[in-house]
Amino acid sequence: MFGSNGSRRSGWVAALVAATVIGACGGGAGAPGAAGSASPSAAGSVAFSGTILFGAPISLTGSTAKEGGLTRDGYDLWKETTNANGGITVGGKHYVVDTKYYDDESNAQKAATLADKLIKEDKVNFLLGPYGTASTLQVSTVAEKNKIPMVEANGAAESIFSQGYQYTFGVLSPAKNYMKGLIEMAVAQTPKPTTVAILTADDPFSVEVADAARALAQQNGLNVVYYQKYPNNATELRAPLTETKARNPDLFLNSGHLAESLAIMQQAKELGLSPKGFGFSVGPSIPDFQTTLKADANYVAGGSQWTADLKYNGNDLFKTPANYNAVYLKRFGYEPAYQSAESTAAGVAYQKAIEAAGSLDPTAVRNALAKLDFISFYGQIKFDDRGINIYKPMVVEQWQNGKKVTIWPPDVANAKPQWPAPPWSSR
Amino acid sequence: MDLVQHVLNGLLQGFIFAIIGLGFSMVWGILNIINLAHAAFIMLAAYLTYFLWAGPGVDPFVALPLVMAALFVLGYVIQSRIINLVMRASVLTTFLLTFGMEALLVNVALRLFTADNRQTKPSYANVSLALGDLHLPYTQLGAVVVALVVTCLLYLFLDRTRTGSSIRAVGQNKVAASLIGIDLGRTYALTFAISAALAGAAGTLLSTTSGFSPPSFGIFNILAFSVVVLGGLGSIPGALAGGLVFGLVSEFAGTYALQEREVVVFAVLVLVLVLRPTGLLGREGYR
Repeated sequence: MFGSNGSRRSGWVAALVAATVIGACGGGAGAPGAAGSASPSAAGSVAFSGTILFGAPISLTGSTAKEGGLTRDGYDLWKETTNANGGITVGGKHYVVDTKYYDDESNAQKAATLADKLIKEDKVNFLLGPYGTASTLQVSTVAEKNKIPMVEANGAAESIFSQGYQYTFGVLSPAKNYMKGLIEMAVAQTPKPTTVAILTADDPFSVEVADAARALAQQNGLNVVYYQKYPNNATELRAPLTETKARNPDLFLNSGHLAESLAIMQQAKELGLSPKGFGFSVGPSIPDFQTTLKADANYVAGGSQWTADLKYNGNDLFKTPANYNAVYLKRFGYEPAYQSAESTAAGVAYQKAIEAAGSLDPTAVRNALAKLDFISFYGQIKFDDRGINIYKPMVVEQWQNGKKVTIWPPDVANAKPQWPAPPWSSR
Repeated sequence: MDLVQHVLNGLLQGFIFAIIGLGFSMVWGILNIINLAHAAFIMLAAYLTYFLWAGPGVDPFVALPLVMAALFVLGYVIQSRIINLVMRASVLTTFLLTFGMEALLVNVALRLFTADNRQTKPSYANVSLALGDLHLPYTQLGAVVVALVVTCLLYLFLDRTRTGSSIRAVGQNKVAASLIGIDLGRTYALTFAISAALAGAAGTLLSTTSGFSPPSFGIFNILAFSVVVLGGLGSIPGALAGGLVFGLVSEFAGTYALQEREVVVFAVLVLVLVLRPTGLLGREGYR
């Protein structure tokens, strides 16, 4: 109907260039905006003798922009709270905490490049982690090469910690624990589920979670009727959901990210996929899950690193989960997801380690990190030989009538699991 | 039964893909611009629909013509005030220009609207018409109607009206068109505006079917590109066919080789290009 001229051939050439550029840039070409400001002392009488600079590449744009934002807010709350309470004390002197972030555009390679820039050009004293396993894995190599510690809070795959690296520490529970509570909770319900379908994103973290879930499901007597990987970040999942529906599982588990969890709930409803329970590794704990899905979020459960309902009495500035929740809500105007809490916990771990080391020497702080063992508002922080925190348990949250409650394990739960979920047709 | 559901999934998705491809195809075919801001227009329309629904409670299907009109105006202004300045430069110049616009719009949106996920969620969002065990989502059925109506109107407009003829003339030969008195700048702007309005329709429809945030639209540039290549550049029925074929191929690749879905889809694309360089329904000449 339109367009026919001699330039068609050059059009195709340009088109191929186009496809390459689109692919390479992932569509989001955010300028690497450096954020972070040295806030002057807010601690009244305390005079600061210097600054400790923490750097992190974070996904502020791109596919995990939401999660990256939660991570940044977690770091910022730690910085502000610490500075308001006299900063970090090293050898009797008070140091103010400052942070420098770069946007890695949800691109792991870019995260590594930016981490290098943070160390070499911005001369950061220490690294905080990026968001996500893929980026954390890349940055851990940069940290190791430069012998600068990184305490990270958002990369849970054990592949990060199986490289024999000495300078990377993760405050969060490892990937294999993400679905543990969900499965244990499900098999304790009546009617007891007998079959499970597992859909997982094809990235190292999600696959680790899903493989552990499959093994655990089998140990708990569940028949795995469908196990399928999908391309990372795919949100068109009607095909595998139609396949899932044909197998009529009692329990549906997804190991992926927020965007996919939303797509799955929307498309499952459209297709009439109604298992007795929906469980996600990532998604339900983030407020967007409910604000986007509204009533369709009800009955959905998710593994969570932390909730405000936990009863820790921490030896840190925030003390209890409830207090952290209140401080966070006051500062940002929304309740914290676990992604924020664990990010704050990474800062808290640094503070303890630096004060214990009595020095800003990277190796001394690294050694102090390796010896840490204390209870924080986030739970126990202690690293095994590989650098991951296997000591903190995970919990299960569920959306019930528009409210997020903790349903598992029973000793910390503040509500009973709602099971089974009614089919879509009768909601 | 699953097979029928898969076919329906593919076709229903395909109609939305067709609308996305149609706008992209027009600008590419007539203006020789590969508009990388197309996905950003879809994004703006999705937010506009969302805010009209979340604020004054305007139903997305009522909002659809309003959003299309708003995007039409935006498209007209962008082409006449900005892109027309570089129309004589090589295709790479407009390519980079629209790439820059995309980055600008997405990042401004991220700043204004944040990365929060949203969905326009009227009571019928994600609800399906159930025919036995088959499920047909209402919003996607609406998309089918919109796609067919828009395609027919566009076809008639280009085929039967004087302005439509001038757009086609410009697509065929810019020099000759200007010699017979067609205002090139105005025709460019009009074409670009229609394309933006089509992106607007797609954005409205997409905002009800899935959750979105500013970065989630980037995928639609590659999708639009693929639909146009499959169906054939410069053909309205081609964009429709391209969308439907793309929807079906994607659905079945997702059923039997989900992990390799992208590989299969793009292998089909390459195959079509090799066997039929003009796409399924594309022809030298027009229509």
